[in-house]
Amino acid sequence: MEFGWSTAEVEYRAAISEFVEAELAANQSNVGISGVASRRSVGRSFDFAAKLAERGWLTPHWPPEFGGSGATAWEHIILGEEMWSRGEPRGPQYMNVNWIGPAIMVAGTAEQKDYHLKRISAGDVIWCQGFSEPDAGSDLASLRTTAVRDGDEYVVNGQKIWTSYANSAEYCFLLVRTDSAAEKHHGISILLTPTSTPGFEIHDIQGIVGEHAFHHLYFTDMRVPVSCRLGPENEGWEVVRRALSYERVGSPRYARAAFMLDEIARWARAEGKLSDPAVAERLALARARCEAARLLAYCVIDDRNKQRPPGPNAYVARVAMVQADRMVGELAMEIMGSEALVTNSLADEQFRSALPAGVAAGTLEVQLNLVSRAVLGLPRS
Amino acid sequence: MDLEFSDTQSALLDSLRSLLARHAGPARARQVMADGQCDRDLLEALGAAGFLDLASSEGAGPLEAELVVEEVARAAGVVPAGPRSLVAPMLTDQHIPQVVAICEATDRGPVRFAAAADLVVVLDGDSAGILRPEPGEIPPVDSPYGPAMGYVPRRPPDELPGVSARTARLWWRVAIAAEIAGRLGAALDLTVRYAKERTQFGRPIGSFQTVQHRLALLHVAVQQSTWLARAAAWSGDEETAGAAAALSSETARWGSVELHQLTGAIGFTEEYDLHLWTMPLQALRVELGGLARHSHDLVTARWAERHERVR
Repeated sequence: MEFGWSTAEVEYRAAISEFVEAELAANQSNVGISGVASRRSVGRSFDFAAKLAERGWLTPHWPPEFGGSGATAWEHIILGEEMWSRGEPRGPQYMNVNWIGPAIMVAGTAEQKDYHLKRISAGDVIWCQGFSEPDAGSDLASLRTTAVRDGDEYVVNGQKIWTSYANSAEYCFLLVRTDSAAEKHHGISILLTPTSTPGFEIHDIQGIVGEHAFHHLYFTDMRVPVSCRLGPENEGWEVVRRALSYERVGSPRYARAAFMLDEIARWARAEGKLSDPAVAERLALARARCEAARLLAYCVIDDRNKQRPPGPNAYVARVAMVQADRMVGELAMEIMGSEALVTNSLADEQFRSALPAGVAAGTLEVQLNLVSRAVLGLPRS
Repeated sequence: MDLEFSDTQSALLDSLRSLLARHAGPARARQVMADGQCDRDLLEALGAAGFLDLASSEGAGPLEAELVVEEVARAAGVVPAGPRSLVAPMLTDQHIPQVVAICEATDRGPVRFAAAADLVVVLDGDSAGILRPEPGEIPPVDSPYGPAMGYVPRRPPDELPGVSARTARLWWRVAIAAEIAGRLGAALDLTVRYAKERTQFGRPIGSFQTVQHRLALLHVAVQQSTWLARAAAWSGDEETAGAAAALSSETARWGSVELHQLTGAIGFTEEYDLHLWTMPLQALRVELGGLARHSHDLVTARWAERHERVR
C-alpha cells in the first residue's frame, strides 16, 4: 500500500490542468447552474471533446484498437478530476466514454464496435440512457417498455422518463422488454436506438436542477432493426448490471465538491468568517468528506487498474461521494446566508448540482442496501 | 498508488494479529481496565517483536506504524500505541520508553495514560517538550473512559530542540484517527454479528432496512476514517491529518451512540464487549481539543492567508 503518484502521472495531471485552465478561461470557466445539459454547454462540449480526442484525452483508458490510447485507470481518473472539478462542459460524454463504449466493447457485434466506438472516441456523438420509466425507478428491472419482434425489426412501445441529454442525443441506450413472460431480470434487451427513428418522441421536463436535465420519451410503434440490439436477446440485464457498476464511480463529483468548497472558503475568508468556530467546523468536515470520498473512489480505481471486475467497494465509494457533494451544498447555503439566494451564486450552483447526487445513477438507498448485503452480509428483509 | 497491502505489509499484519490474539483482545482488556492499568505486558510483547518502532525503521515507516495503531485498537489493546509508535519516533531519535502520553499544556483535563507514563510529550503553543514523571507523581483519575488517566504536573518540560509542535500535532492527529478507526471498526463488526443473531418479531434485526442502512452508513464512516488515517500517515501531510482527525472524531461522536442504540440494553452491560471499544472512543474524540481544534487547525492550514505548509 502506498499513496504516491508516479512522475508520469504528475506530468499527466499538470498537462491536463494547464489545458483545461486555458480552455475554460477562454470560454468562461464555469458551466453554472444552466447545467451540463444546457444547450450552451452541450454545444461547447462538441468543440471541447474534439480537442480532447485530438490529444488522446477523450477515451484514454480504452484499448488502442477501439480508439483509446491504452492509458491506465489512474490516468483516466486524474483526467476526470482535473476536468470535472473545473466545471468542464463534457457532461454528456461521460456516459459514452465510461460505460456505453465499454458495454459495446464487451457485447457489441463487429459492426457495432466499428461504428459506435469510432464515433464515441472521436467525441462527435451524444448518447442518452433510456432506463427509468414512470413505474420503474430504483426497481429498474420492472421496466415495461416492450419490443415485439416483427421480421428483422422490433416494434417498440412504451415510455422512458428522467432522461438527461435526450434533446441533443443522437443515440439512446434503450432498455426494452422482449419477453414479458420471463422473470423480470430476464426478458430484457438493449437496443442502440437512433433518436431520429420515427415514433421516438422527446418532451422536455422543466425542473429546478438545470435546463434540459430531464426528458420524457414516448415510443409509439417505433421500428428498430434487430441489428441495433446489443448482446443476446433477453439477456440485456447482465450487460447493464456490469455497465452500471462502472457508472457508480463515473464523474468524480468529490473533485468538483472540493473545488467548490475551496471557492466557498475563499469567500468566507474575504468576509472575515473563517475564524467563526461553527463555520470552521463545517468547512473542515466537508473537506474531510471530499478527501475521504476521493480515497474510497481510488479503492475502486485500484481494482479497475488491476483489471478486476467491479466489487462492492463501488457502493461504499458512491455513498461517500454523495455525502461529500451534499455537505458542500448544504454548508454553502449556511455560510453565504442570504447571498446564496441569487441565481448562479457559488452556493446556488453547488446546492442545485448536489441535490440530485443521491438519486441520479441509482439512489443512495439502493447503495445502502447493497452495502448492507454485499459488504456486511446482512440478511434480506 | 497501490491501495492493497504489499506482501511485506501483509506478513507484518499477519504476525501482528497473531501476537494480538495471544496478548490482547476483549478478555484481556476487561481485566487490565478493571485493574486501572496500562497493559505493559502487551507493550513489552509489541516492543520485543519490533512493532513499536516501525515509524523510523528501514523498510517500514509511518504508514506501517499507523497500521499497528489500527490493529492494536481493533484488538481493544489498553495501551497508548499511537503516542508511543507514531508520535514520539517522529520527534526524537532518542530511546523511547514504553509508556508515552501526550498533551496540550493549555488543556486542563486529565490525559490518557499519564498516570502510567514513563514520558509525557507536552505541547505548548509552538514548542514541544518532554516530561519524565517520577513514579507515583501522577495519581490515576477515576474515569469510565479509560484507565490510568492523570493530570500532568504544571512544571516546565524539557524542550525538544528543533521540534515543532505543529509536527507533533500532525502525527498525534494521525494516531487519534487510526485508533478511532480501529476501535469503531471492531465495534461495528461486533454489532453486525449481533444484528444477524438477535431475533425479534420472528426475524433477525439485521433484516430490517432501518437497521441495515444505519449499519451501512457506519461502515462507510469507518472506511472514511481508516483511509484518511492511512493516507495521512503515508504522506505526512498536515491537512490530511487534520481531515482524518476531524472526521474520525465526528464519527466517534455519532457512531458510538449508534452502535449502542443498535445493540440495545445488552450493550450497556459490563459482560458484553461493546463498551471496551466505545468508552475509550469518547476520550479519543476530545483529545487535542477535539473536533473544534482539529477544524480550526485544518481551516487555518488550508485556507488562511500566509500560512506555510508543514510536512
